[in-house]
Amino acid sequence: MSDMRRSYVSVVVIWVLVLAALYVFQQYFS
Amino acid sequence: MHPVDWTIIAIYLVWIVWDGIRLTKRSHELEGYFLGGRSLPWWAVGLSVMATQLSAITMIGTTGQGYYDGMRFLQFYYALPIAMIVLSVTLVPFFHNARVYTAYEYLETRFDAKTRAFTSFLFLMSRSMSLGVVISAPAVVLSVAMGVSVTTAVLMTAIPTAVYTMFGGVQAVAWTDVKQMVLIVGGLIAAVVVLIFQLPPDISLGSALHVAGSAGRLQTFDFTFDITNQYTFWSGTIAALFLFLSYFGTDQSQVQRYLTTPDVDQARSSLLMSAYWKIPLQALVLLVGVLMFLFYLYTPGPMLFDGRHDRELREGPRASEYLALEQRYAAAAEARRAAGVALAQAEDAGESARVASEGATFKAREAEVRVVRNQALAFVRSATGDTTYNDVNYVFPTFITTRMPVGLVGLLFAAIFAAAMSTIAGELSALSTSSVIDLYRRFIRPVATDRHFLMVSRVATAFWALVACVVAVQAANLGSLIEVVNRFGTYFYGSILGVFLLAIWFKRATANGAFVGLLAGMGSVAWLIAYTKIAYLWHNLIAAVVVIVVAMAVSAVDPFARKAE
Repeated sequence: MSDMRRSYVSVVVIWVLVLAALYVFQQYFS
Repeated sequence: MHPVDWTIIAIYLVWIVWDGIRLTKRSHELEGYFLGGRSLPWWAVGLSVMATQLSAITMIGTTGQGYYDGMRFLQFYYALPIAMIVLSVTLVPFFHNARVYTAYEYLETRFDAKTRAFTSFLFLMSRSMSLGVVISAPAVVLSVAMGVSVTTAVLMTAIPTAVYTMFGGVQAVAWTDVKQMVLIVGGLIAAVVVLIFQLPPDISLGSALHVAGSAGRLQTFDFTFDITNQYTFWSGTIAALFLFLSYFGTDQSQVQRYLTTPDVDQARSSLLMSAYWKIPLQALVLLVGVLMFLFYLYTPGPMLFDGRHDRELREGPRASEYLALEQRYAAAAEARRAAGVALAQAEDAGESARVASEGATFKAREAEVRVVRNQALAFVRSATGDTTYNDVNYVFPTFITTRMPVGLVGLLFAAIFAAAMSTIAGELSALSTSSVIDLYRRFIRPVATDRHFLMVSRVATAFWALVACVVAVQAANLGSLIEVVNRFGTYFYGSILGVFLLAIWFKRATANGAFVGLLAGMGSVAWLIAYTKIAYLWHNLIAAVVVIVVAMAVSAVDPFARKAE
């Protein structure tokens, strides 16, 4: 896997984790 | 404001101009002035892209939105990381390998001069308008804090920025952006810390956040599918994707920045920095708004944060109505405070039945406060004739000037200046580049020395700064600024994206087809705005589709294309 392709995969993984964290944050404090 | 704060602001303004000009290298050559000699590192370009995006409107308008509306605006940015990946794979290598100065230059290679000139013209019009709005945001802050006119405040922001952009070119813009970005993030973190420490001592941060959640201020996901609502998960992930593709992929202020890197991979890496950090950064900005909501919940503040009409209303013929509204607001805010304390105590005690009952009471009290506030807004509009009156953009400036310690007031104002100047500089540089490369050098004077083009570029920068200042003075009277800026662009963004998609992926598209498609796309947005309630984020997607469909239909019957075959 090229360096750029690895970067794209890590962007998607971090994106999913950030959205999941925001959802948990919303549910926990609501 | 304390003299220490004034000193901090003055030092910042002088230092940033001096530093911008000092760091400039090779700005006597065209490529050095417009593209930094294609030698800037990816991390500096990445920070510069983020700084241009994070304007003073974000600092003032978005914190105000966080205060009144909570964090749901965050959904607007959910598609941004995906847009950055798509652009890194598609448009970035095209532009970089084409060795162009502007995005629109590429359209002449693929289509013709009129398509290039028209898209460049659209960029110049929409960007100069939105730049005016961007300048007016810190002007609003300054006019509140200093008691000066909006015009004076506009000039204080725009002149230093125009000076270092004129003389330093894109290198001055990028390197000052890096430092300004550090100042902005530092200022936001300082604001969060101060706000947390100003919560009442008997209320923990956790229980306070539960109270904010009960008031709907922590909602970051709305899965309702409603195309008339701007801020839902679907608008943010589908419709906003096309806005970001268009903004980061075809707007010269963004394209110019990643053309300054030495190679394609560094250009891609600079964009991916936004992909990682934009959502957390925007969450931090909105969190400042939510924490201000909690602060003013437990320490009731003014009924309206914009006090420009206060004296006129107190002394006018309807003074008794205004005072009655203020008394009702004070009573409603006090009832909400008591309910907020009771709810926080119930949260701390961990009694779920009590939390439910106190939560219901708090929501009812919060609704009452909203009703009185909305009545107050309507009253001010009708009593003063100021039909666009809204105090959203005044919440953060009011908090800074009345509740922040000496020193931090100056730091926060410097951060707001930094946010404004980083955006203004990037836009001015892009406006100047497009004016000179796409119009002046292409149609008026194709051959001249670099010295001549640099002189014209500096004049163009000064001209666009002047235009933006005039627009800024008018825009200061508009409502929530962040939406205004986005709406300016939406008239054109989707259509221009459609033309670039045609250029890259539709080999059969002809120049005439692309031009007619572009006009049809813009016409479709005008129709959507006039006759439907579809949220503006969706206009980009619809316009891009209209451009492609119409362009391909025209291309199929284009007589000039047949002759060429």
